[in-house]
This record gives sequence, structure tokens and C-alpha cells, in this order.
Amino acid sequence: MNTFFIAVGLSICLLTLLVLYRVVFGPGVYNRVAAISAIGTKTLIVLLIFGFLYNREDMFIDISMVYALLNFIGCIAAAKYLEMGS
Amino acid sequence: MSVMMALSILCILGGLFFFTTATIGLLRFPDFFSRLHATGKGDTLAVSLSLIGLALYEGFSLAALKIVFIAVFMLLAQPTATHAISKAGIRSGVKPWMKEEGKE
Amino acid sequence: MIYRSDDIIVKTISRILIPFIQLYALYVIAHGHYSPGGGFQGGVILGASLVLLFLTRGYDEAKTRISEKTVIIFASLGLLIYSGIGLICLLLGGNYLDYSKLSVLLHVNPARARALGILGIETGVGFAVMAVMFSIFFDISTGGVLPEDEEEK
Repeated sequence: MNTFFIAVGLSICLLTLLVLYRVVFGPGVYNRVAAISAIGTKTLIVLLIFGFLYNREDMFIDISMVYALLNFIGCIAAAKYLEMGS
Repeated sequence: MSVMMALSILCILGGLFFFTTATIGLLRFPDFFSRLHATGKGDTLAVSLSLIGLALYEGFSLAALKIVFIAVFMLLAQPTATHAISKAGIRSGVKPWMKEEGKE
Repeated sequence: MIYRSDDIIVKTISRILIPFIQLYALYVIAHGHYSPGGGFQGGVILGASLVLLFLTRGYDEAKTRISEKTVIIFASLGLLIYSGIGLICLLLGGNYLDYSKLSVLLHVNPARARALGILGIETGVGFAVMAVMFSIFFDISTGGVLPEDEEEK
């Protein structure tokens, strides 16, 4: 079971590196905001898989919930700022 | 291997498949709004499936209930964020991709 | 600058979600000794929930819920709780922030009095951090000019 978790975690890390291309090369700023939201979602799963690997899942569940909250609020704030211009 | 373990492995593999298709869509689509479709819908489904798979791996305990709470919050919050970005994009004048006039 | 959000979807979802975010922040403050969290982290999440409230409604509507004067009072209240507990321990005959002397006041044994003292201090820190986070956001975004001052010109 441990090797299965390590394999899934490494695959999601590889997908994150692929999304990074869109963050750097996206024409315009809106593509970059959408790609950063996608990176945040993938990071959440990687954090949980870390918790399950080290047998301390109680700790990592709280951390990933906080990160989901901050990702949501940051995305809405960025969209608001780009629409109305400060 | 019990039934719960097999179900959880199935759910996590399904989540990984949807993550892959969402990323390929984000890279290859020609326009901003189609990329937003790919990452908004595909990522939400993939996260929900992965979290349900991880909760099934735990069994019946407090930690599994907390993971289900995270999944419900993600199902509510991620489409709202996608909607906010797309509305900001339309109001700022990003043009959608249309077929050119000459090609049939 | 007054913020207004004309979206009905974002307004409704944030109206549903903000009480649960605040409840989760109180859980993080209270479980500081066992899981990652404590005073500062819970205060940041509380401040983030207030920022979401002001982002999705305009300044005029959100002013009826919580005005800026209330938030400044919260900052001072947090500091008062923190220093007050320390000073009470000093007046009862121990060092500053020596919680075992609180067992005289609360009629429990000294080990339990230490745990309760730490809980009180984390609450004070949480309130102060929430107020400061919200004040930073508000002052940077409006540039120190309130809409009442703009109308008088």
C-alpha cells in the first residue's frame, strides 16, 4: 500500500510541473490566476498523501483544510482586483 | 484484500485519471474560456473522488468524517471561484475564440 | 474605493460559508496543544473570514454588520486579556505569567490551572491578530480615505 501512495504522489507532482508551464507562458494574467488555483488543488491531495504515508493523518487533515480555505479566498480576491482595478 | 481497500484504490485511480485529463486540457486548449472549463470541472471531480477514496481507506473514525467535510467544502467553493474568474474575464474584454470566416 | 459585487452566486455562497469558517477558526484556537494551530493561526483564519465578508458586499452593507470601530476595540480587548492574566498572576504572589498561582482563584489543582491559563492567553492572541489582519487589509485598500470624507469634498 505504501508504494501505491508514493506512486500516486509522484504522478501528481509531475502534473504540477506541467501546469507550471501555463503559469509562466500564459498570455495575459487571467490564465495565470486559473493555473495557480489548479496548483493549489493538487497540493491539497499531495499533503494528505504525505499524512497517510507517515501514519500521522490527524495532523495533516487540519493543515489541508486550512489550505483549501486560503486558496478559495485568494482566488476570489484576485478576481475582484482584476475586474475593478483596485 | 477487503472490499473497502479495493474500493478506495479504485477511487484514487479514478481521481488520478481525471487530474491527468484536466491538465492535458489546460495545456492544449486554444482559448482562455475553454481552459477554464477544463480546470474548473475536471479538478473539482478529481479532488472529490480522491478524498472519498482516502476516507474509505481510513474506515469509520473521526478522521474520515473530517475528510468528508473537506470534500463537501471543495464541491461548494471551487465552482464559485471559477465563476468569479470567468465573470472578471468577460468584463475586462477577453475575446472568445471563434472560427475564422474563410475556413468552412 | 467602495467595493461592490454584482454576482448573486458569490454573495449567496459566502453567506452560507462564513459562519462555518469562523467555527473552524475557533476549533483551531482551542486545540493548540494537541494539533497544529494555536492562537496566531486561528486569528489569521478569523481575519480572512472578515476580509471575505467585506469583499463580497460593499462597504455600506458590511458596515451594519461589523464597523471599523468594533474591530479596533477587539484589538485592545485581546491585548487586555493577555496582559491581564499575566498581571493577576503577578498580584497573587508568583512570577509574571506563572499560571499555577491561578488555582487559588479558580479552586482547581495547579496542573489544571496551567492548562486553563494557556487557553485564555490563546484567545486573547486570536482576537488581537484578527483585528490587525482586517485593519491592514482595510487601510491598504482604501488608502486611508473613508467614503464619508469623500462626500464632504
